[in-house]
Amino acid sequence: MTTIFKNLAAVLAILSAPASYADTLDMPQDAVVLTVSGAITTTNVDDAAQFDVEMLSQIDATMIETTTIWTEGKQTFEGVSLEVLLAQLGVSEGTILATAINNYTVEIPVSDAVPSGPIIAYQMNGSAMSVRDKGPLWIVYPYDSSTNYQSEVIYARSIWQLNRLEIVE
Amino acid sequence: MTETKIPAKWTRRGNIAVVGFIVLAAIVFLGFSVAEDLEELETARSDNLQWHLAQTEVEFLAFATSLSTADSGTPEDLAEVRQRFDVFYSRVATIETAAAYRPLMDVPHFQSALTEIRSFLDETVPFVDADDTAFRSARPQIAAEIDSTRANVRQVATSALHFFTVRAGERRADFAQTLIKLAVAVAFLIAALGTTIFYLRRLNIQRTQRQREVEETAARMDTVIQTSLDGVIVANETGNILAFNTAAETIFGHMAEDVLGKPLGPLIVPDHMLDAHETGMERMRQGGEKRVVGKGRVKLEAKHSDGSIFPVELAIQTAETNEGTIFVAFLRDISASVAAEKELISARDQALAADRLKTEFLATMSHEIRTPLNGLLGNLNLLQDTRLNPNQLRYIKNMETSGSLLLQHVTDVLDLSRYDVGSLELRTDPINLSTLIQSIVDNQSSMAAQNNTTIEWSWIGEPCNWVKSDPDALQHILINLVGNAVKFTLNGKVTVSVEVAKLQNNVANIVFRVNDTGQGMDAELQSRIFDDFVTGTVAYDRAVGGTGLGLGIVRRSVAALDGQIDVESAPGTGSTFTICLPLQVTAPFEEEKDIRLAFQSSVPLKILVVEDNEINRAIAREMLRADGHIVEEVHNGKEAVMATQDTLYDLIFMDISMPVMDGRAATRAIRQGNGACATTPIIALTANAMSAEQAAFMEDGMDAVLIKPLSRAALRDEISKIAVKVIQSEAADAPPRHSNEMREVLGDEAYAAMRDRFVAEANDLHTWLAGKPSPSLSDIAQRCHKTAGSAGIFAADQYHAALIAIEDAAKDGDNHAVMTLVSALDDVWQNAQRTL
Repeated sequence: MTTIFKNLAAVLAILSAPASYADTLDMPQDAVVLTVSGAITTTNVDDAAQFDVEMLSQIDATMIETTTIWTEGKQTFEGVSLEVLLAQLGVSEGTILATAINNYTVEIPVSDAVPSGPIIAYQMNGSAMSVRDKGPLWIVYPYDSSTNYQSEVIYARSIWQLNRLEIVE
Repeated sequence: MTETKIPAKWTRRGNIAVVGFIVLAAIVFLGFSVAEDLEELETARSDNLQWHLAQTEVEFLAFATSLSTADSGTPEDLAEVRQRFDVFYSRVATIETAAAYRPLMDVPHFQSALTEIRSFLDETVPFVDADDTAFRSARPQIAAEIDSTRANVRQVATSALHFFTVRAGERRADFAQTLIKLAVAVAFLIAALGTTIFYLRRLNIQRTQRQREVEETAARMDTVIQTSLDGVIVANETGNILAFNTAAETIFGHMAEDVLGKPLGPLIVPDHMLDAHETGMERMRQGGEKRVVGKGRVKLEAKHSDGSIFPVELAIQTAETNEGTIFVAFLRDISASVAAEKELISARDQALAADRLKTEFLATMSHEIRTPLNGLLGNLNLLQDTRLNPNQLRYIKNMETSGSLLLQHVTDVLDLSRYDVGSLELRTDPINLSTLIQSIVDNQSSMAAQNNTTIEWSWIGEPCNWVKSDPDALQHILINLVGNAVKFTLNGKVTVSVEVAKLQNNVANIVFRVNDTGQGMDAELQSRIFDDFVTGTVAYDRAVGGTGLGLGIVRRSVAALDGQIDVESAPGTGSTFTICLPLQVTAPFEEEKDIRLAFQSSVPLKILVVEDNEINRAIAREMLRADGHIVEEVHNGKEAVMATQDTLYDLIFMDISMPVMDGRAATRAIRQGNGACATTPIIALTANAMSAEQAAFMEDGMDAVLIKPLSRAALRDEISKIAVKVIQSEAADAPPRHSNEMREVLGDEAYAAMRDRFVAEANDLHTWLAGKPSPSLSDIAQRCHKTAGSAGIFAADQYHAALIAIEDAAKDGDNHAVMTLVSALDDVWQNAQRTL
């Protein structure tokens, strides 16, 4: 029941305004895999929004089927659309500083977060990704859909072993 | 710019175009190539590979460091080690799977090092994945592998870096190559463009030069046209004036600026020709016949601005221009020359009229002189028939000769005009040359004797007595030459010689030479001796001094007989006149006289003589009665009409000029009336010898014309013709007869003579008819008529009918029918001869 209401609330929140679903973010129950901080309007722990795998999977998933330069053959990625996530967190502009578990950081402009744009993948070919497989989270662009997504810049932004985002102006 | 250079230029231009195209295509291709290379550089299939490889080393070092610093072995430390391992692991896995690194698998150092690393990972994974205790205890074991693995990681990184460096170098070289090619292509294109610009510039220069030449030519043409003495008008297809030069302004009285662009027709074409002009223009627009254009000079009328019409000579040509067909007319006002021409024509007409007047005067004079001569000679003729002693007879002969000479002078003057008018008709009668020359020499002998000059003549070589020619002309020539020789020779000798110079195809070239030992002529006189009215300075006998026409007529006569005349002379030694005439040789001809007499004595005719002049009337009467005819006389035309009303005459002699009613009116009255003599032959008697008038007499209904003074021979000749007709008409009513009947009437001897003459006449006719050029229709009619008469006498009825048919056809002017009938005549004649 709770889940249904939550979902309903999420749907309603999407239909009304991003600001309206402040305070609707649950507390992470499991290990935190993604921490979003900075200029966001929705938070759950201190000034940040923390997500466990369950929370991410609660958000409508987006599938991308594409090849990558790091893998062999076509891969199916499933994850949260960056656009949807940022919308949920009330982010519409600025720059994302995406950091991997080894503290490697790249800058991604918020303008990259568009429908049919990049996702924060948590599954590859139907399985969760381990750290050894560039998991648990990997920002994946739909490389095959446009040559715009086949540039050095985009490849650089495709950060894997992602564990935190910071939204800066 | 000649014709032949143009294709070469086009080829060159074509080459430039082809080269330009090829270069352009190369540039496009290379451009694509560059773009592709750029795209490849842009859409990097790998992210920063070097960075990644360096990062792998970093990750390994981070792992190694975390492993060595995790001495305490706390769970946090171990988690740190595990995470470092996993990150390193993922780097290695990426190197193993990423397409960007696949080419590296062929690099031995890289591959062996990577394999080493993989085995390290595989060996280490169980420890990392084990629990903390096991992992903690395995750390020294893992650390033992760290150094060798670091070397391997180093090896992977350096060999990959080396490989990528080499490959990047190659790619840069390729790209540089492509760029060089592009640069070369661009250079080519620039060169091609440069060449094109060069040619375009040259073309432009040439075009400018040509345009300048065209302008110069146009200016020159304009100057030529403007200064042309002929009017030049240029019009377009619709007839509007495009150019109008200065001369045209003068000719037509229009100023160019007033007429340019206006329709040509109403301005310069006379009103009465405007319709024809418009029709002509329209016809040419429709592509029809061009009647004036391109036909050279044409004379037409044109209209001046003041409305006056004047003659112009013009030539029009068309030219095709960019603006369509144009007409260029060159016009000249020919008023002056037309006026001059008219004046000339008028002068000529006046001259001709004057000449006609002169001829008429001569004819009148001849009439006036002939009438008394007629009396004189006629009476001499009659006197010969009276009893005379030999001396009297000789005197009379001499008188007759002199009279004839006088008549000849008159005739000379007439002949002159006849020759000059070209109306002379030459006969071709048989002539005995010996007789002719003898009679001339005889005639001149008394005069020669007076000058104490001997005269003689002879044949040189074989004589050729019988020839055919015009007796009058030949006699005239010889009398003149012999007479002159005698006239201008004193105490000397006149020698006449005749020689057959050439005989071919029955035509003899006969040379007559009249040589004298007289005073001769200088070269100047020789050169003009044959001109008219030229007389020698001194004649020994002024009494016979001539008109100066003698040799002029001789010259004309010789020319008329197709002969030649020359003179050789030296002052003091004498002259030799040489005549060469081509004469047809003929068989000896029987003396006409005998046949005539025999014939005439057998046919007495009843004849009416109509003549107002008593002497002439008496001469005609006596001559006719002497031949046994019955003669009645009346004094004018009116009496003649009355006399012929009821009485049938066989023949009427009709004078022309008579009081009360002249001979022509009387003839018309007789012919148109229903009198007894409506069809009786009428022979005109006239001193007026003009042939035009003679034709008029024939139209009045007369059958023949006798020129006064009457000679017995001419009279008999005409009567013989008429007698034939009389006999014929009688024969027509008579029952069928046979030539035997004729033989009985005439007697054997006369019949035979007449038959021979008839056969000769018929053969002659046939030869003549078949001759070339074909005789005139009137001659054919005449001769067929004559022979038909003879055929009638000999009852050769079919032959007679055939000849009459030819005569009728000839009179009708039906040339074709004449030809057909003549071609059949020979057969008819062959049949007829059997019955003779």
